[in-house]
Amino acid sequence: MSDTHTKKTGTVFIVDDDTSFLRSVSRLLTAVGYSVEAFMSAHEFLARPAPEQPGCVVADLQMPGINGLQLQELLRKSENPLPMIFLTGQGDIPSTVSAMRSGAEDFLTKRAPKEELLAAVERALARDARERQQRLRLRELSGRLAELSVREKEVLSHVVRGMMNKEIAAVLGINLRTVKLHRTNITRKLNVQSVAELTRLVDETGLFKTPSANPPG
Amino acid sequence: MIPLKHLCSRFRGTLAIALFLAVGGVCLVASPGRAQNAGGGDSTHTKRVLLIFSETRDLPGNVMMEQAVRVQMLKCTTNRIEFFIESMDASRFPNPQHYRLFGDYIRNKYTGQNLDLVMMFMTRDFTLTQELPAALAGNLPSILVVVNDLPVPELPNGRPFTGIVQRFDVQGTIQFIFHLQPQTRRVVVVGGTSLADQAVMARIAETARSVAGVDFEFWTNRPVAEVYRAARSLPEDTVILLGTVHGDVTTQPVYTSQVVQMLAPAASVPVYVLGDGLIGSGALGGSVVDFEDLGARAGKLAALALAGTPASRLPVELKSNGVPMVDWRALQRWHITPGRLPADCVVGYRPLSMWSSHWELILFVVAGFLAQAITIAALLLLRRRQRRAEAEILKQRTELAHVARVSTMGQLASALTHELNQPLGAILRNAEAAEIYLQADPPNLKEVHAILTDIRRDDKRAGNVIDRMRSLFMRQKLASSTLDLRDLVEDTIAMARPDAVARQVKVKVEIPPHLPPAQGDRVHVQQVLLNLILNGMDAMNAIPKSRRSLVVGVLATKNGNLQVTVSDCGTGISPDNAVHVFEPFFTTKSKGMGMGLAISRTIIEAHGGEIWMHSSAMDGTTFTFILPPAGCEKIKPGDLPALP
Repeated sequence: MSDTHTKKTGTVFIVDDDTSFLRSVSRLLTAVGYSVEAFMSAHEFLARPAPEQPGCVVADLQMPGINGLQLQELLRKSENPLPMIFLTGQGDIPSTVSAMRSGAEDFLTKRAPKEELLAAVERALARDARERQQRLRLRELSGRLAELSVREKEVLSHVVRGMMNKEIAAVLGINLRTVKLHRTNITRKLNVQSVAELTRLVDETGLFKTPSANPPG
Repeated sequence: MIPLKHLCSRFRGTLAIALFLAVGGVCLVASPGRAQNAGGGDSTHTKRVLLIFSETRDLPGNVMMEQAVRVQMLKCTTNRIEFFIESMDASRFPNPQHYRLFGDYIRNKYTGQNLDLVMMFMTRDFTLTQELPAALAGNLPSILVVVNDLPVPELPNGRPFTGIVQRFDVQGTIQFIFHLQPQTRRVVVVGGTSLADQAVMARIAETARSVAGVDFEFWTNRPVAEVYRAARSLPEDTVILLGTVHGDVTTQPVYTSQVVQMLAPAASVPVYVLGDGLIGSGALGGSVVDFEDLGARAGKLAALALAGTPASRLPVELKSNGVPMVDWRALQRWHITPGRLPADCVVGYRPLSMWSSHWELILFVVAGFLAQAITIAALLLLRRRQRRAEAEILKQRTELAHVARVSTMGQLASALTHELNQPLGAILRNAEAAEIYLQADPPNLKEVHAILTDIRRDDKRAGNVIDRMRSLFMRQKLASSTLDLRDLVEDTIAMARPDAVARQVKVKVEIPPHLPPAQGDRVHVQQVLLNLILNGMDAMNAIPKSRRSLVVGVLATKNGNLQVTVSDCGTGISPDNAVHVFEPFFTTKSKGMGMGLAISRTIIEAHGGEIWMHSSAMDGTTFTFILPPAGCEKIKPGDLPALP
């Protein structure tokens, strides 16, 4: 199969209890150049270690045991959520809505045109690559933020709100020099050059978002 | 009341009685008019008429005359008439002393009786005309009716009488013989010895002389017993002409009517007679004296006399006419074709056609048949209507079963689409992959080959799905065959599987190895089973998905039947609802038609099986049905029977 098409990055994980369909989709995606892993059930797939490389899941909606929607839910909660494309013999509106709300990349019938399927796979893989990047960066930023002391975090929270050093010192009841020292430590630990950059970083990690806007988990 | 009596004697049978009552009613209604008429007449008192017969009254001619006289007189007058009848029986009592005694008897009996008219009927002689006038009031009008060939004697002067003297039509009868039997060469003439008999014989002899080439033999000197014997062996070209007999050589009183009764049936040749009263007991016929007509004419004369016309002013009629008359039965006996009969010949005793002899009975029977036929037709019509209605109901029920089945299938519609989209989707993906492999350089033909194999298999799979569904959609009539229940259960579960997967119901099959086959209609049993499986899955909507499981079991019972169970682990059916589940249109589902179980029961019972259910809130519901084993033909092919 290596002699068929230009090799594409990303792995497509196909989950379907229908052997025949599973094989045909694997065949097509392999033919167009994706690396493909096929699973007969969600259990089987979940048993596999999370992939290091970008990937996406193409799953049947109706399966015995863990069905498509349940698989999506489980993946969403995992460390490395993979974008999902649902394939169904016949989709019903409630399932579709539920799937899309939970962030499904697409919801296609099993007989959807190849182009739709491939476009969805392409989008899903691109999204996964992007999200992996973001997750990496966030993880790195979070790591850096974790190095800050409690006082430094307090100072940072005021900085990103645009408070002057004097104001911060007044609020926190510490002297101005101490505030400056904290800020130097913060920029060093977070490896940022400007306040603008600092603000963006804090925004990205969502560190000081109000709890309602940033639900736990 | 006379017409009423008359009717009464004529009509017999139930219908006749009905008619009689109707006519009687008319008569009763009409009678006041008659009474009024009578009251308006000039003479209202009862007329008293004495009829005297010289011979016994019951001779056929006398009976006919008496009857005709009575009828005619009543027809011609408005008066009430009282008849007195006397007969002298002169042939059996020829002594002159007897005449006198009879005259005395009449005188004693009728003096002071205020008779209005006397009628005397004489055949043997005229003696009465000599004896009676003296016995009766001198001014009493008398009517004489004489039937013989004797010369008319002088009648007493000054008595008001008139009458009819009827001669026998000897000449007419002899002509009649040759008209009917031209081949006749010999005529045996049988007659009595009285004066009147001799007079007839003389006339016959006289006529015979004018008939050439025919022998006339007169058997007047033989006793009648000998005559009977001799008549048995007469040759074919002979006939017998019976004159009158008032006594034979033995001087035993004997009547012509007695002679003809003995003679005619035994004789080897036809017997001709001179009086119509003699026809009927075997005689062939003759140009006969019509006694009924004679009586009627005498009655007319009598009526005129009663009305006041002096009898002396009414002329005495002398008649010698006869009426050609034959007995149909004798014609048949002697093989004489009716075509030979004179045009004016009266044919008596012709077996009346069914209609003329029994028309009342025929009418009655026909009316009865008609009524019966109409009743039967009505009943048939009703039955046909009922049958048509039943057939219509059956058809509707069969259609309903079909609709229910299609409706059951409708529940599976999305599952069906899924079931078909799986192989179709696989085919599509494979085809798309194949295109890519073919475009590669070099084309990956090995992979294309594998793809084509897969495509073929998926196509077959889709076809199977369609076939399975189609049989449920199409067939309606029950058709029995041997059923492999394992195969049937698995096939049915395959149909319901997508639905089961979607609802996350685990379906378990429990069938022992070596299950004997059942007898039944595959499609209908499958319909029942599918219905129970879908119901079972519906019943588990309310319980957690992890606990949803359905068990379909089959086993052979001790008595050889096959028992199929479908058990869910739902919350059960409430006892209130449980008693109604098999009733048509009973449903607890918002979208249900309520026909599924009713039709299932109809189907199973049509197989000679039964279906029941057991339900508890703890263990869920189990439906069980029984089917007969293979070869046990309880199923009636055709439409489904009626729903309960």
